[in-house]
Amino acid sequence: MAYTEEELKKELETKEYEYGFYTDIESDTLPKGLNEDIVIAISKKKEEPEWMTEWRLEAFRAWKEMEEPEWANVTYEKPDFQNISYYSAPNKKPKYNSLDEVDPELLETFKKLGISVDEQKKLAGVAVDIVMDSVSVATTFKKTLAEKGIIFCSISEAIQEHPELVKKYLGTVVPKKDNFYAALNSAVFSDGSFCYIPKGVRCPMELSTYFRINQAGTGQFERTLVIAEEGSYVSYLEGCTAPMRDENQLHAAVVELIALDNAEIKYSTVQNWYPGNNEGKGGVFNFVTKRGLCEKNAKISWTQVETGSAVTWKYPSCVLKGDNSIGEFYSIAVTNNFQQADTGTKMIHLGKNTKSTIISKGISAGQSQNSYRGLVQVNSRAENARNFSQCDSLLMGNRCGAHTFPYIEAKNKTAQIEHEATTSKIGEDQIFYCNQRGIDTEKAIALIVNGFSKEVLNKLPMEFAVEAQKLLEISLEGSVG
Amino acid sequence: MDLKEKLVSSFMAFEDGLDLDHPVHEERSNAIKNFETKGFPTKKDEAWKYTSLKGLQKIDFSIFPKQETTLEYKDVKKYFLHDIDTYKIVFVDGVYSSYLSETTHDGVDVCLMSSAFSKPMFQQVIEVYFNKAASKDESLTSLNTAFSKEGAYIYIPKNKMPKKPIQILHLATGNEAALMLQPRNLIVAEDNAEVQIIERHQSLTGNEVFTNSVTEIFAGKDAIVDYYKVQNDAPTASLVDNTYISQKDKSVVRVHTFSLGGKLIRNNLNFYQNGERIDSTLKGITILGDKQHVDHHTLVHHAQPNCESHQDYKGIFGDSSTGVFNGKIIVDKIAQKTDAFQQNNNILLSDRSTINSKPQLEIFADDVKCSHGCTIGQLDEEALFYLRSRGIPKKEAKALMMYAFANNVLESVRIPELKARINKIIAEKLGVRMGFDL
Amino acid sequence: MLEIKNLHASVEDKEILKGINLKVNAGEVHAIMGPNGSGKSTLAEVIAGQEEFEVGEGNILLEGEDLEELSPEERAHKGVFLSFQYPVEIPGVSVTNFMKTAINESRKAQGLEDMPASEMLKKIREKSEMLEIDRKFLSRSLNEGFSGGEKKRNEIFQMAMMEPKLAILDETDSGLDIDALRIVANGVNKLRSKDNAIIVITHYQRLLEYIIPDFVHVLYNGKIVKSGTKELALELEEKGYDWLKEEAAV
Repeated sequence: MAYTEEELKKELETKEYEYGFYTDIESDTLPKGLNEDIVIAISKKKEEPEWMTEWRLEAFRAWKEMEEPEWANVTYEKPDFQNISYYSAPNKKPKYNSLDEVDPELLETFKKLGISVDEQKKLAGVAVDIVMDSVSVATTFKKTLAEKGIIFCSISEAIQEHPELVKKYLGTVVPKKDNFYAALNSAVFSDGSFCYIPKGVRCPMELSTYFRINQAGTGQFERTLVIAEEGSYVSYLEGCTAPMRDENQLHAAVVELIALDNAEIKYSTVQNWYPGNNEGKGGVFNFVTKRGLCEKNAKISWTQVETGSAVTWKYPSCVLKGDNSIGEFYSIAVTNNFQQADTGTKMIHLGKNTKSTIISKGISAGQSQNSYRGLVQVNSRAENARNFSQCDSLLMGNRCGAHTFPYIEAKNKTAQIEHEATTSKIGEDQIFYCNQRGIDTEKAIALIVNGFSKEVLNKLPMEFAVEAQKLLEISLEGSVG
Repeated sequence: MDLKEKLVSSFMAFEDGLDLDHPVHEERSNAIKNFETKGFPTKKDEAWKYTSLKGLQKIDFSIFPKQETTLEYKDVKKYFLHDIDTYKIVFVDGVYSSYLSETTHDGVDVCLMSSAFSKPMFQQVIEVYFNKAASKDESLTSLNTAFSKEGAYIYIPKNKMPKKPIQILHLATGNEAALMLQPRNLIVAEDNAEVQIIERHQSLTGNEVFTNSVTEIFAGKDAIVDYYKVQNDAPTASLVDNTYISQKDKSVVRVHTFSLGGKLIRNNLNFYQNGERIDSTLKGITILGDKQHVDHHTLVHHAQPNCESHQDYKGIFGDSSTGVFNGKIIVDKIAQKTDAFQQNNNILLSDRSTINSKPQLEIFADDVKCSHGCTIGQLDEEALFYLRSRGIPKKEAKALMMYAFANNVLESVRIPELKARINKIIAEKLGVRMGFDL
Repeated sequence: MLEIKNLHASVEDKEILKGINLKVNAGEVHAIMGPNGSGKSTLAEVIAGQEEFEVGEGNILLEGEDLEELSPEERAHKGVFLSFQYPVEIPGVSVTNFMKTAINESRKAQGLEDMPASEMLKKIREKSEMLEIDRKFLSRSLNEGFSGGEKKRNEIFQMAMMEPKLAILDETDSGLDIDALRIVANGVNKLRSKDNAIIVITHYQRLLEYIIPDFVHVLYNGKIVKSGTKELALELEEKGYDWLKEEAAV
């Protein structure tokens, strides 16, 4: 190893200085900066097999040659990639001893979202002295899954326990060199989820990373791999509505979905990373690569509710490789204050009779910028491809911006593509109408926004939808003056 | 020597003999510097993602035609809209042909940029308007500015309207093996003036022609400008058309672009609304075959409140042709009550044809109505069957439907003879004899 | 119930209401008629608290309480209901969801718990039957794609749900065919009681054949120029408004 004990200790001290409240930090933190040695060290710490180390190194070498993309409609101060520590073992010790120590503003939000006290503690990182409900839930949960042959574990565990599956599929949908952030993630990913649904199995419950927050920690460079074997079905929930405060400014996750013949994957995300304060200071940069591959008759459906992050760069996509495969993208992106979001999807039609649907609802408030960027591509052999896209923007106030950048490329004469976009605002007449029925302005706005987003909210699993609805309300609070 | 180098090194020779004390000299010098820095756009430029100029840059174009050529009117008559009386400004290989032209100074000025540059009576207009709407940043526009010398100059004073429409015709004789042309047009319609203009580029042989044209149009308060671009050139003729339109309060400017032939056409059509209650209309019909490539790149910048814009582009693409539509609408923060509408509909006829469409909205004001729609599809099979069941043969039925598809774009053409002419060209394109008129 | 004293209101410095005086007691139905542009809709919206209008002189008292400082929703909580002449569309929000929100917000303002779902459902069923409204209609987006008649019927449905003290029906008859008019009028009549009051704003006498008013007022040029009983409506139907204009001009 390239570091001496001395160096580690030094690094440790700086860390302590930075985050004063970490009284007892694990000695398991690598120094700042990124080079081949660090990549090897990460792999070693995770006790990975050699092929995995080599895989990471290849990604790192590719990343070194790449440049950070600038085409997105966002402006931010680029992170200094040499000033980030790329490995820090999950912090097992709770940050606080009781809820009283937690930021009251955060607790207020928890309350509005209707999150239970236990859950609040877990989310805020407060020590819990009783065995928490969800832990036992998680245990029974795992048992049910195992009976069906479903594998649902952390990606680190999967690399150890199911190397053949990881080796076969990792990086097949999002290649290591796909883009700057994907390459970075491939080199240094800390952890994430792995999910495998055997042939013909219908996963009996919504798989959710929610349950594992305390177990693994979400990490800065999350890696998710979902494999649905022939004829299987899974619904996967990611993220949670509670605001996620994180000291890490940069998040670059990669999610790969593989839907083999006749399989279906439904992937729902609610993202509420810390967006920065109302002056635009702080906040998470969320640069995510999400992509799914559909084989014959397979279906992948992405649903997302994006309310957090200071900067979002995210395009959950579908490669419709198999004939008759279906891709769907349903999205609500809310930006307020100084948030910037550049999000959308790519639907790549390769197979015959492939279908895709895109419904995007952008809501901009404050001084935020909200962009939809999408690609619908019909390749020359994709006979009878169909696409329908609808991008609606709602502007609240006139200090914000709504942008639509759809790319439509058709190389087959049998393609049928329809794209529609509209921009509107909440009418004063609508507000007055609601007021007259006894509904105050804030509630009226929430009602109208929910109505605007309904087509997407309807796509979320029930309990997620209710939370998401509340989240929309909270995200837009105080946006109308 | 590649084309860029050749152009840059020819600049001094070009300016030799021109008045270097003229204010335009400085514009030209700045422009050539910008072009030298930026060069030809490449596919890496987002705006040129779908159109490559690489092939053109390999051709050894002559920049200054060596000889003047005279043409007989009867030989080129068919390129004019000859069934109505019009003013004509005609250029042969970039050189003004007084023989084929009919200009005027009777209340309005319909003449040449070269006169406008050199005669003191036009100097004020040149100072106020020349290169004021055109981009100083875009490299091909700069290239044209650097070599700006000749083109159409049309000045319509307050409350005036020329007696008849104006035709601008650029003919290329093929006397050069490969010729590059850079016409520069300036059109000014002062307050409450009105003018109708038809512009056409025509190559007469199979030799390569590359035209990089810039047109600036200024519409004063309540002015009405109708501009028709007829692009039905030879398969060896390429055109980059950069048009910049600056509009004042309550003016109406309508630009129709008919892209029916040529090798590579790129239309950069930019509208700047610098006043209130402005109406801008951009319409286009594109019908392509062979390996033709047409790229419509439009921008409508709503910078003031209460304005409207209407865009409607229809494309029919056969053989190995490629169509590109890139339409951008920007609505500034103060441009409340904007009503911006954009529509792009395409039909692919062949397995080898391609369409890339990129309709964009950038909205910074909340009280606006903006929408865009884009479709790519085929002819409606049911409708086709219906027509055939009424005894219309398949080919004619298809043509009829394609006609109907493009029809609403022709509706707003205000010169009936031009409408008829476009109809005829479309009929020829579709390869059928029309027993009907639309 | 309602007392309006010397009410003046203007929009963008243009005075529309020029001193309205009106007293409506509980249990009464008042009709306000008048030619286009006389200020009828303005009066309705000013009572409901539309902030677009600048209220100059005068007061509006509801059960003795001055409404001036109250927001539109607070007025609604106190029992003011306006059936809009042009009901607004709210995409994605179902009629049911809208009503649920409206009723519970009013209850909240009165310190009451949310209405239990079963009670809400029962009420919805009852009122929709009364107004012969198809249940499917209730799951549609509010007023979006509704015909003129459906919009008006939906307004009266909301009135039935909210049980206001003071209901103002602004041109509820416009856009209704004769059958729909009968259904709507029946509904309104069933909602009449000794504890509430209704103001019917209309252009034509037609609606007043079904909803029989206790008093009829003619509004012209921002003032009530004539008041009377239901016979006045018939007289207006016969003679038009011109004779009143002449009278007012004198």
